Amino acid sequence: MDRLLLLLPTTTYRTHDFLEAARTLGVEIVCASDEPSTFEAHAPDNLLTLDFDDPDAAAARVATLADRRPLAAVVGVDDLTAVAAAAIAERLGLRASGRAAVAAARDKYQMRQCLAAAGVPIPRYRRIALKDDPFLAARGVEFPCVLKPLALSASRGVIRANNVDQFMAAFRRISALLAREDVGATGDAAQFLLAEAYVPGVEVALEGLLMGGTLHPLALFDKPDPLEGPFFEETIYVTPSRLPADTQASIERATAAACAGLGLSEGPVHAELRVNDDGPWVLEVAARSIGGLCSRTLRFGTGMTLEEIILRHALGWPIASLARERRPAGVMMIPIPRAGRLAAVDDVEAAMKVAGVEEVTLTAHVGQDVVPLPEGWQYLGFIFARADTPAAVEAALRDAHARLAFDIR
Amino acid sequence: MSDDLKSRVQELIDTMINPAVAGHGGFVELVDVQDNRVYLQMGGGCQGCGAADITLKSGIERLIKEEIPEVAEVLDTTDHASGSNPYYQAGKA
Repeated sequence: MDRLLLLLPTTTYRTHDFLEAARTLGVEIVCASDEPSTFEAHAPDNLLTLDFDDPDAAAARVATLADRRPLAAVVGVDDLTAVAAAAIAERLGLRASGRAAVAAARDKYQMRQCLAAAGVPIPRYRRIALKDDPFLAARGVEFPCVLKPLALSASRGVIRANNVDQFMAAFRRISALLAREDVGATGDAAQFLLAEAYVPGVEVALEGLLMGGTLHPLALFDKPDPLEGPFFEETIYVTPSRLPADTQASIERATAAACAGLGLSEGPVHAELRVNDDGPWVLEVAARSIGGLCSRTLRFGTGMTLEEIILRHALGWPIASLARERRPAGVMMIPIPRAGRLAAVDDVEAAMKVAGVEEVTLTAHVGQDVVPLPEGWQYLGFIFARADTPAAVEAALRDAHARLAFDIR
Repeated sequence: MSDDLKSRVQELIDTMINPAVAGHGGFVELVDVQDNRVYLQMGGGCQGCGAADITLKSGIERLIKEEIPEVAEVLDTTDHASGSNPYYQAGKA
């Protein structure tokens, strides 16, 4: 039986779906996390603790394990584990993108350097040291601009500034965020931020799978809520896209060029792009699959999940079809409207009754302190819908969300 | 047969599983055993924990199957959304 190593941080939303996919495939699962499992002593060949921030040490530890019990594949399930997974794969000769390429995708400054060198359309950008004077730093920036940390994901710490005063406020807010112990920023990510031109236009996300250096688009999501700042909270994703076919083709070409520019060649990619009259602009390409529980919107072939496709690819197993089901689908990541303690959630049943809504999953628990963007890093939950048209999916998600009542005190 | 299986699973929970998960403030209760499937409920620090699936599949299920080979599967009946004090809290990553 093939042994599969999954890198599963204790804070990821992705554990359940990847474990279910692995169970479906019938492989032997080895789970590595950043904190010890209570059962590690009982199952040392199947549970281990790794420091995902130290890819070399993680690779060395796994190599020792693999000497005794070989591994057929390694998959990092999210941003936090992507580089460690690539390092392990490189050391063991397993299928994955190269470590340097994955590391470049993880660092927004390195990414932009690679993309610029490859001629991929990206916003103008500058890396700014956090020790610099923000007033002086602002003088070299065109407005409006967007300031963002180098390594955080899901729009955490991303702030639009329209003038010098807003730039300085955003600069200080990101500095304070990166200094927090729970954020865990290290190296360049703790010392710099990125300032880039604000690109007007609609935003989309492309989910794809790289196989032998070729990008296979799996789904293109529209983000119908305007993302104009000052913060960039992602809410609704709907697929298939309602953009014209030629625009969708240009998005796929830009994403493929970005992957090639970074040197990514194998495994899942999640790209974020802006589209306006000048065409697509690549904002991010991450060497991982879509975050949160959002992959539950996707089914392929005869019902295969995204996670099963990713695992099959890593294992070198055949994949019957990469074609997504035809029925439009979407997800709403339920945003945190304000800081406080979640006291109650009401009317979930009413939200579930909306035509087209398939699932309402609450991930925040009553009694939990919730923090909105830009400092926050969680959602209240997820709403999933399927309908005959993308517009009907979007309407169902909005209707369901409007029926939910969150008591935050 | 099912009662015997149930009591053996219960003994494992009492002697090995709960002492282990207690380290994270958690506990496991046996709900039922049907057709060689074990139904469990997780509580305390395990309820809503970001690592609950790892604990269940790579810890608890593995242990139960090793000790009681006739068990086919271990299934979680927990309402994790109602967990009020999970040991690890899932986030955006």
